[in-house]
Amino acid sequence: MPIELGELADEPTPDLIRELLHDVIDPELDINIVDLGLLREVSVRDGYASVRFTVTTPACPLSSYIEDEIRACLWQLPGIHDLDVECEYEPAWCPEDMSDAARDALGWAA
Amino acid sequence: MSATAPAPVSSRLVRRLPLLALALVALLAGLWAGLLRLGLDLPPLRPALALYHGPLLVLGFLGTQIGLERAVALRRGWAYIAPAAAGAGALWLIVGLPAAGGQALLVVAGLDLVAVFVVVHRIQPSWHNTVMGLGAVAWLVGALLWLTGSDIPDVMPWLAAFLVLTIVGERLELSRMRRPPRHALRLLLAAVVVFSVGIATSAAWPAVGVRLAGAGLLAQAVWLARYDVAGRTIRKTGVTRYMAVALIAGYVWLAVAGVVWLVNGSLAGGGFSYDAMVHAIFLGFVFSMVFAHAPVIVPAVLGVRLPYRPVFYVPLALLHIGLVVRLIGDATGSLTAWRWGGVLDEVAIVAFLAVAAISAVRARSSTAARTAPARGRSAAPPVEEMRLPR
Repeated sequence: MPIELGELADEPTPDLIRELLHDVIDPELDINIVDLGLLREVSVRDGYASVRFTVTTPACPLSSYIEDEIRACLWQLPGIHDLDVECEYEPAWCPEDMSDAARDALGWAA
Repeated sequence: MSATAPAPVSSRLVRRLPLLALALVALLAGLWAGLLRLGLDLPPLRPALALYHGPLLVLGFLGTQIGLERAVALRRGWAYIAPAAAGAGALWLIVGLPAAGGQALLVVAGLDLVAVFVVVHRIQPSWHNTVMGLGAVAWLVGALLWLTGSDIPDVMPWLAAFLVLTIVGERLELSRMRRPPRHALRLLLAAVVVFSVGIATSAAWPAVGVRLAGAGLLAQAVWLARYDVAGRTIRKTGVTRYMAVALIAGYVWLAVAGVVWLVNGSLAGGGFSYDAMVHAIFLGFVFSMVFAHAPVIVPAVLGVRLPYRPVFYVPLALLHIGLVVRLIGDATGSLTAWRWGGVLDEVAIVAFLAVAAISAVRARSSTAARTAPARGRSAAPPVEEMRLPR
């Protein structure tokens, strides 16, 4: 869904932030974190945005990479004064968290 | 008004740079030691340096790097003891201090990495974390054996197990995204058990233990070829395909290693057979994984962007061509082929460092030069983007 400039004039909605975070890609899979089911929660209140995400295992060093990419994706978003990005491990990620598009891309239907 | 800028990555770089520097020193010293072992007429720098070739590369370089990855993931200060002790242990050996001190530091590093996986298991118990944890145990056992006087050929299987189990555990974790059938996990765990039993008995009963380990290596390679996500992602383009190509090439070498271990059934050091056993795993499998994951791991660990460029294929191809030449030398007893293949592999590793450094510097320059990004979006150059249809 293309994003129009007008949508960015006021405080962005969580849905808009979710949409923007489709640009954060896991390079090894070429699939974004939203479709992979790694994005847990987005909230916005009084210009403060909070993004919670997970990784597939606590031993995965990609949490730093994803955090950086989320910040890079959102830091100039109008209407947001502060951004909190945190990785959480509970509940654990499972393959069923992936979207149908990601499952198709990884060959679940095959 | 926009949010505050992304956390400055330079501070992360500064904090982790000493560990990276130690890993790099271990890599360069290990490569120099490798050239000495290939018989090149070079200054030895330190009398025992050539003897430390394997430990410097496996524990000094890769151990520091893997320990750092886990510490970054776990985000706990004490987890950094593993990479710090591994890097310091390598430096201790390089500068020529009494070996026991450096060996003891490598034991401490292995112990800390085991503790890391105990915590990881408490957070999220899983088979893939257990396999990776077994890899850390193999590091600890190998380092203890070396400290207590075992010869390098008897320690080598444990060092191989550290890296093989670490990587196989990681791949098992990612393979869940392909939703493999239920029996696939049992098959891999059986292969891991066979491999581990083989490693544990390799020094005492090499004719059985080395062959068991070889069968385990071969089974793990077949499993990875069948169930790893690389089988799907190789159909993509750019960095995703590059990573898949490097992974699959690594699995081929893991299978070759399995066959060589099966056929050889011995840990007698110094010969061509031993050379093939060691380098099919450490160069063909492990370094191919390192080349594959650098575009992701370097940004994760250092906060420095490392954009993929097609030139990454050049050192990757050199690595595998060099190893083919080396193993032809091993199989035919040709010192010339063995030596040229070995040198080519070292050139490949240094070339990869060079193209990665150039790519990172260029990315940093282009980020700094960028002003007023369009639509108030990312100020950083995008990774290759793909939006799945929904």
